[in-house]
Amino acid sequence: MSIVLIGVNHKTAPVEIRERLAFDDAACAAGLRTLVDGELVREGLIVSTCNRVEILSATANEQIDLGAGRVTEFLDTSGNLPPGFLKDHLYRHTDEEAVRHLFRVASSLDSMVVGEPQVLGQVRHAYSLAVEAGTAGRILNRLVHHTFRVAKRVRTETGIAASAVSISYMAVELGKKIFDSLKGCTVMLIGAGEMAELSAKHLVNAGATRVMIANRTEAAARQLANQIGAATSVPFEQLDEHLHEADLVICSTGAPEYVLTEAYIRKAMSRRRKRPTCLIDISVPRNIDPATGKVPNVYLFDIDDLENVISSNIREREREAERAELIVQSEVMQFQQALRLMDVGPSIGAMREKFQDVARAELAKQRKKLGPLTKEQEAAVESLLMSTVNKIAHPIMDQMRRLYGTSDADAAPAPNDLIDLEE
Amino acid sequence: MRSLLLAVLAAYLIAAIHSILAFVNKRRSLQRVAEWSMAVGFVLHTAVLIDDWAVDGHYPLFGLRETLSFLSWALVGSYALVLYHYRAQAVGALAMPVICILTSAALLISPDPSASAAAFSTTWLFPIHTTLLVFAYAAFFIVFMASVMYLIQERELKVKTFSGFFHRLPALRTMNEISTHAAAVGLTLLTLGLVAGVFWSWSLHGKMWRNDPKEIFAVLTWLLYFVLAMFRSTANWRGRRAAWLGVLGFVLVLCTFLIAPLLGSYHVFGLALK
Repeated sequence: MSIVLIGVNHKTAPVEIRERLAFDDAACAAGLRTLVDGELVREGLIVSTCNRVEILSATANEQIDLGAGRVTEFLDTSGNLPPGFLKDHLYRHTDEEAVRHLFRVASSLDSMVVGEPQVLGQVRHAYSLAVEAGTAGRILNRLVHHTFRVAKRVRTETGIAASAVSISYMAVELGKKIFDSLKGCTVMLIGAGEMAELSAKHLVNAGATRVMIANRTEAAARQLANQIGAATSVPFEQLDEHLHEADLVICSTGAPEYVLTEAYIRKAMSRRRKRPTCLIDISVPRNIDPATGKVPNVYLFDIDDLENVISSNIREREREAERAELIVQSEVMQFQQALRLMDVGPSIGAMREKFQDVARAELAKQRKKLGPLTKEQEAAVESLLMSTVNKIAHPIMDQMRRLYGTSDADAAPAPNDLIDLEE
Repeated sequence: MRSLLLAVLAAYLIAAIHSILAFVNKRRSLQRVAEWSMAVGFVLHTAVLIDDWAVDGHYPLFGLRETLSFLSWALVGSYALVLYHYRAQAVGALAMPVICILTSAALLISPDPSASAAAFSTTWLFPIHTTLLVFAYAAFFIVFMASVMYLIQERELKVKTFSGFFHRLPALRTMNEISTHAAAVGLTLLTLGLVAGVFWSWSLHGKMWRNDPKEIFAVLTWLLYFVLAMFRSTANWRGRRAAWLGVLGFVLVLCTFLIAPLLGSYHVFGLALK
């Protein structure tokens, strides 16, 4: 059996094409049932996300091209596109390449933002749809489970997803570098914009226990407080009453002047007994006086600082991605070996049965000459014969397993050619 | 026992190399190797100390060689505690190499045959005095390392261009807690150790204070850590300044250890009192 992967992603096709090919859950299930005919395409799985549509399929070794043709046709028809239209956008990987591609996708090495965590969930979902549709068989089951393992290894053994690459998540990363854990931390949002909301949600997910929201129009603050949960709104005029309670301040008002001045922060710092505080200013024009950054134990970041950190984090992720590629490489080799053994497994079983059949046939032929035997004697003769056959066969099968388990297997004759099993 | 101490050094070297690699590559598997070989080294080292005690017939903290060996043993123990409480593995990348240097120095220095421990073993106050001080110095070394890492991390956060350190060092709060706690433990041990020393000197010579350079440095060290602890508890000095004080305190510790003997202190390892 061969594995074929055909699809488009954000690098090969613009969104106009990807959106036409995208499958929702229902379309995915129905599509899999039409695509997998048990002949050309034996097994199938569709990964459909906003950045990629890929069809993973298993076909018989000698029918790779026909199977791939069927998949391509299927994509054309399901996207309502003229035949050949996708030619320039599709990529096609077979066997080792297909395995590597799937491993890279699930490990988020092929993503637009390397290391983003969603894609593994999407692959997981695609697999559960294929299982429901009954189109994931022996090969794909094995492949997908191995894929999950690889993705987990990459995530735990490299720092590919360790550092933040979005403004909204930076608050969490900075908070962790100052306070270790955000548990018990108090967050203050000044301004109730979208970015502040997103950051606050990340912070609460990371364990921040209390959120205060101060906004010029208090209704908006209250509305946001309800959305976030664990949040209270604070009248804008009473900002300085509460500022000293905040471990993290995220400022994003549309005000044209500084909302937090140096004197203001100094006062808050002495009130909070100089415990460190992190100020994040994502507003333009800036709302926090840059001079506050010089106050001891105050860590101020404006939007440019955050962008700088993000680009350095992206570089860090790329360095980690190189290590992830090595993991993927070694896992691809392991999987290929497992697959070869899986292919040879049934043949070895068939061979053993064939040997046993020959022995039984010979016994039947000679049985008369042995005369009447007791039940025990009969069983003893049979077991003698079978154990002899098995002992002779054992080293041969071992040798076969070893031979087909190595990468030189392509040079070796197929098990079926060694002995005519069909006879 | 030299061969066993050699095995200890080998285990510590493996731990040091893996700690540094784990720090650079952020690999958990490397860290595990480091921790296991450190544990093996520690157990062997404990055996060496017990054996020394049994063979030499005096508490294994007398000559310079013994002191170095004992100090590195105490440092491994302290680092293990930090690891257990704070999971601050980054400390190991700094601590393990120092431990290796101390252990190899202990191996290279030949035992001083003329040293007579008899005068010291008459009273149990002397071993208590030295043990407490060695553990106090180990605690101050932990303060020093946590302070240095705090200063690096704090600088990264202030300058806002993050180098590789940013992703590898623990959070500011963690390092602050390590140095606060280690300084408190160190100060307590130092106080008790100095008191034990004073009583010992009194019981032996009828003198409490001999104006020795080492005594003066030790008192200065005590004062500095006392000030540090006071300032921390009243919260006037936090973060950077406290960290600098932690570094300065360790410089004083080194002075006590290295410079005081040069200034003619009688307080030299392995030498009987004149």
